[in-house]
Amino acid sequence: MTGRHTVVVDLGYGDAGKGTVVDWLCASRPVHAVIRFNGGPQAAHNVVLPDGRHHTFAQFGSGTLAGARTHLSRFMLVDPLALSREADHLRDLGVADPYSGLTVDRDALLVTPYHGAANRERERRRGDARHGSCGMGVGETMAYSIGHPDLAPRVGDTASPYVLRRKLVALRDAVAAEFGELDVPPVAACVEAFRLFADRVVIVDGDALRVLLAAGECVFEGAQGVLLDEWRGFHPYTTWSTTTVDNAMTLLADAGAVELPRRVGVVRTYTTRHGAGPLVTEDATLTAALPDTHNGTGAWQGRFRVGHFDAVAHRYAVEVSGGLDALAVTHADVALGRDDLRVCEAYRVRVGDPGSDGAGGRTRTWSRIEPGPFTDLGYQEALTGRVEAATPLLAPASADLPAAIGDMLGLPVDVVSWGPGRADKHAPGRMPAGV
Amino acid sequence: MGSGRWSTDVYDAADRLRRSTGTSAFAYSDSGARAVHDALNPMNVTTRESCDSDEHPQSVAIAVLFDVTGSMRNVPRILQSKLPGLLGLLLRKGYVTDPHIMFGAIGDATCDNVPLQVGQFESDNRMDDDLGRIVLEGGGGGQQTESYELAMYFMARHTSIDCFNVRGRRGYLFIIGDEMCYPRVKRAEVAAVIGDDIGEDIPTKAIVAELKRRYDIYYILPSAASNAGDQGILDHWRDLLGQNVIELDDLDAVCETIALTVGLGEEAIGLADGLDDLADMGSGAGDSVGKALARIGAVSRGAVVHGPRIGGSTAVDDVDRLDKAVAGPDGNDGVIRL
Repeated sequence: MTGRHTVVVDLGYGDAGKGTVVDWLCASRPVHAVIRFNGGPQAAHNVVLPDGRHHTFAQFGSGTLAGARTHLSRFMLVDPLALSREADHLRDLGVADPYSGLTVDRDALLVTPYHGAANRERERRRGDARHGSCGMGVGETMAYSIGHPDLAPRVGDTASPYVLRRKLVALRDAVAAEFGELDVPPVAACVEAFRLFADRVVIVDGDALRVLLAAGECVFEGAQGVLLDEWRGFHPYTTWSTTTVDNAMTLLADAGAVELPRRVGVVRTYTTRHGAGPLVTEDATLTAALPDTHNGTGAWQGRFRVGHFDAVAHRYAVEVSGGLDALAVTHADVALGRDDLRVCEAYRVRVGDPGSDGAGGRTRTWSRIEPGPFTDLGYQEALTGRVEAATPLLAPASADLPAAIGDMLGLPVDVVSWGPGRADKHAPGRMPAGV
Repeated sequence: MGSGRWSTDVYDAADRLRRSTGTSAFAYSDSGARAVHDALNPMNVTTRESCDSDEHPQSVAIAVLFDVTGSMRNVPRILQSKLPGLLGLLLRKGYVTDPHIMFGAIGDATCDNVPLQVGQFESDNRMDDDLGRIVLEGGGGGQQTESYELAMYFMARHTSIDCFNVRGRRGYLFIIGDEMCYPRVKRAEVAAVIGDDIGEDIPTKAIVAELKRRYDIYYILPSAASNAGDQGILDHWRDLLGQNVIELDDLDAVCETIALTVGLGEEAIGLADGLDDLADMGSGAGDSVGKALARIGAVSRGAVVHGPRIGGSTAVDDVDRLDKAVAGPDGNDGVIRL
């Protein structure tokens, strides 16, 4: 172990199983709190209880059912309305008082119904050029906060009705100016709901993190995937969020943590993408054969797509994360016994003059996606073009695919997941009985 | 609204939040408990200890006891929401390196089921757990008297604090309430609640004098409380504690007030520095805290057993600067400009 806190990120495009890995981490050792450090209510981290009941964690940490607290850091976007519904579902699952284990940083941005309405309207107008948004307003919330840093509603404002009202009126008017009158609730109703939220949750300053980290082992739970990162992903098919370990490392440094955390990357035994954007190893047969339990076709997000394990893309994810300490490999059970799953360690790209029929020039292999200068979106967009034009060089998958994945990414495998529950998590090299 | 998995409309969310209200901060109390939680029961407790350790070599004991009668019901709820901030403020600004915080609650031994609840001195957010276990009884009140003297008896005879034992520095006891003490610590009540046989009643003034040797005692009267501004109550506490009676006009500022009082007592800051710190952190509590602590900041801590004291001139300068800041041309917008 390099340190007692753990940072968990998804090395793909999301959906690799961070929730189930975090739940297992929290159930297998005394974890004090799960700290969320990016994204917002659009996260969907699935955890299945031993009795088969299931919860999709969006704003509560995926360690909740294992008894860990949740802290929403200042990097989070918080949707109190969605959170209330998630809390009720957790209570139905037997969490006596979900709010009592929750602290929220007062600087976290608030996602409001106005952001959501603007988000859906903007996507509607994009038509076929949709970005694969979840339709909840996360991107709008980030964009508005960058354009209007002083007017962006924040969690701390929920306890100050006058401040909140002023900010919501400005926001509502800005949305109406851009999109016309949308179907949105009155400001007064939002102020009231947010005030109830402020009464219900513990809103804290950034300093609270210091206390939390000192109280016991914490798990930083990332959302989405590193390949969707706002700066390192394949622009513009990215999310408005830093999905690498950077935010977690910043929070740790700000809190004065000395020990480095253990940084764990989560990958499936195959690579998936929900929505539009590059997926070099995509295979229509696999998409049809491996539908996902928790990921249908979202009205706003688009199709769930499946491809072979893309070591090139995942290695790029490790590299732009500044290196990791270990892997968690999920969906080992799905890969078992499938002879149609392959792995991709290099792409084929066409160079030189393509000629009039597009088939000219030469081809060469491309095994490392080179990170560009940080925050250079022009570079990222060019990268997207190159990746979209690439075809995968597919090789047969090894019988012990999780071990092979560790070798391909050059990282030790901490845990292999053979099913949705905690009991399905095992040390590498050991296939559980009954699989 | 929205289309994510948990999205919900604003009215539905308000309903959900409203229905869930009142089960969080004081889960034990709100679950209907009417007996003291084992973890907070003073009966047969030998000592509550604040000990130095390798991890916390410079422990400073800070006890916060509050009245839990009906008129004060909001205070514990606000404390609970502010607490992580209190500890962080103390630590980040270096007012204290190793604060050990204890929470407790005071009722009325003549008529309440739970007249005294005392947690442990804790250095992390386990203290939140103690807060969650406090029973908010809502009895007492009416006669403007609560059993503060019983709580002070417990603090005097059943706590052991290394800041005093090892370094000769007094700990801090904050009592937050809006009523007066009974005149004597009653033998029968001590036996029934704490389990000691003290032979005979002890005058409240005597127990206060005994407690003052090891603790600086502060009384905080939130002016939102029902008896706020009652001169009789202020006089009563000033008679017992001198200038250490703090009138606070904004209940939300209670944790900032405690933090700055400790900062002043530890000679880590002057009042103006502390108010600067609050402004740095974006706290809007500066005005209320500044008003509440003007007297304490001016006089500084009473006699400290060992060590130097804040120079009087510095403290007076601080108050001058504060007066200018509060009354300054920029207006009272919650931001202190010095």
